[in-house]
Amino acid sequence: MMADDDVPSDSSTLVIIVDTNPNQRYITEDPKVLTGCLDAVIAFANSHLMQKSRNELAVIGCHFHKSEYLYPSPGKPLDVRQIDGQYELFALVEKTIKMRLVNLIKSQPQEEKPGESLLAGALAMGLCFISRIRRESSPALKISSRILIVTGSSDTAAQYINYMNVFFTAQKQQVIIDVCSLDKHLSLLQQGCDITGGLYLKVPSLEGLLQYLLWVFLPEGSERRQLVLPGRGRVDYRAACFCHRELLTIGYVCSVCLSVFCKFSPICTTCHTVFKIAGPLQIKPKKKKMKV
Amino acid sequence: MADDEQDSKEYRWETGYEKTWEAIKEDEDGLVEGLVAEFAQKAARKAVTQRRGPVRLGMMRHLLVAIDCSEAMSSQDLKPTRFLCTLKLLEKFIEEFFDQNPLSQLGLVTMKNKRAEKISELSGNVRKHIKVVQGLSNMTLTGEPSLQNTLELAGRVLKPLPAHASRELLVLFASLTTCDPGDISVSVQNLKNEGIRCSVIGLAAEVRICKKLCQDTGGEYGVVLDDVHYRSLLLEQTSPPPRARALDAGLVKMGFPHSAPPSTQSDTEPPITVCMCHIEEGEGVGGEGHLCPQCRSKYCSLPAQCRTCGLTLASAPHLARSYHHLFPVDPFEELKNEGQSQFCFACVRSFTDTDKQIYRCNRCLEHYCWECESMISTTLHVCPGCASRPHLYQRLPDTA
Repeated sequence: MMADDDVPSDSSTLVIIVDTNPNQRYITEDPKVLTGCLDAVIAFANSHLMQKSRNELAVIGCHFHKSEYLYPSPGKPLDVRQIDGQYELFALVEKTIKMRLVNLIKSQPQEEKPGESLLAGALAMGLCFISRIRRESSPALKISSRILIVTGSSDTAAQYINYMNVFFTAQKQQVIIDVCSLDKHLSLLQQGCDITGGLYLKVPSLEGLLQYLLWVFLPEGSERRQLVLPGRGRVDYRAACFCHRELLTIGYVCSVCLSVFCKFSPICTTCHTVFKIAGPLQIKPKKKKMKV
Repeated sequence: MADDEQDSKEYRWETGYEKTWEAIKEDEDGLVEGLVAEFAQKAARKAVTQRRGPVRLGMMRHLLVAIDCSEAMSSQDLKPTRFLCTLKLLEKFIEEFFDQNPLSQLGLVTMKNKRAEKISELSGNVRKHIKVVQGLSNMTLTGEPSLQNTLELAGRVLKPLPAHASRELLVLFASLTTCDPGDISVSVQNLKNEGIRCSVIGLAAEVRICKKLCQDTGGEYGVVLDDVHYRSLLLEQTSPPPRARALDAGLVKMGFPHSAPPSTQSDTEPPITVCMCHIEEGEGVGGEGHLCPQCRSKYCSLPAQCRTCGLTLASAPHLARSYHHLFPVDPFEELKNEGQSQFCFACVRSFTDTDKQIYRCNRCLEHYCWECESMISTTLHVCPGCASRPHLYQRLPDTA
């Protein structure tokens, strides 16, 4: 798949994370919609590959029990022949993704109830893939990289630390994170888009998914400046306190571990530090001020 | 860390004769490629394992960086000169420092002509510091530095700061001499009593007074070998130091600016106001900004300290940047590559003959290549395998 290294030219790496968790609302309502969404994602992936011959692609399936690469398949690629004059690579992408997704879904544990989608882990895999592509390509090649998340799940604060670590790494490595939400508003992932300079879009209807993907998410970062795309919107960056998980405008932060609390408490519940209480409690003797 | 160097009391030249070339062995095909890859991996790994420190760190840091601007800096043993090399590395250092310690403050000091001069105030503004550093490049390098004056200045600047923040001085010292007005050991003692941590990076050779300063105040002393070593010494200073015992812990009141719900009047432009950070330069007139929740002063960037009411203003991601110090990834186990796995879990690279070692996370039991392993432990701080398993993705702090 890697093109020749002799003529340097720009290329772009795209990692698509597809949430296949069966407890997403649009799947529980009508399981067949997933097929439609998957077709849209595959068509989108192929359009990305079509733009430049050096473009790289990875698709990661995020199921509730684990995440796995759907494309490229580890080891040897599938043997695909040309059908109806279609470019072999496109057929390979489609076949590999469908085959591996079937395996992923089959491997799900039957007795377990599906929990939330662990997108942070899939994002971490995507970042590792991108840094590998950068390592392997010649240094003269300018590569732009981005990760697109297509999900209908909601995000919860349980993965907060993982998400933040991933977002900061992406920001450091200049990887754009785009989010295409199929169902709910995702405030955490929206923060990630804002931090990394990506786009956040909540799709109004699933029928036009491919249209949205192609119009909004296909252009790479440098081209986006010339286009009229959905705005950033305002991102809520308030911190949630560790004690009640409520958003605060004024809070108290432990100077040792930076945990956030909504009320003053004498002991930090995260790192068990005892705080020195400053305030009117001490009645000062008439000595000179004590020096620390 | 400074302590073990002291205990071993061994300089490189005091140890036995090292036959470094004997470590290089050709494989069956007469190639050394695999071996070279192994050395690179070992070096990368060594840098990582040193990092594992105690959990209690001084995360709100106040750091003064003193740059030697004396004649000694014009020497060309670092290319192009010691001074220009320092400035270049310093820019990187400032960026990395604020990346690792987002709520911290930094100030810059120059040492020349026996004087120490503050060239930028303690602040959290990355751009401003980098601009100052870039502006230094045309400076004339004259005279001798004075270590004592620098220490005195640092003492004056850092003393009034709140006791819950760590207070540090980092000296980049090229000269082998210092020209002091009085007894320097008194100044050292004062800093020690104040709990100000002093570290020195020497650009020439080890100087006793610097070593003593670092030992007494609990800092680190390093002498650079070349520019690569200089860079790594400098970047080591970016990770927060273990909390000194003298530091008081405290709960800091902090504001998280949040703009009013946008949906109500999204069509009307916000009123034009002046932000507090640029009020002196007469710039910064605009609509958008972050309002201090206590007194409604406007700031154009975060984090900042409110100039009106003194509240520290930050946003949630600033705090989150430091969480990886608290919840680090457990180190992976190094295994001999015996075909346990055909490919790296994170980047699906197939393992080849040059991968003598592979790495396994002992929680999720996935295998990783050495490149991914070093990326996970240095920047990512998330194990991709654990983070995508429902039973393992939450990492809670050790209660022990």
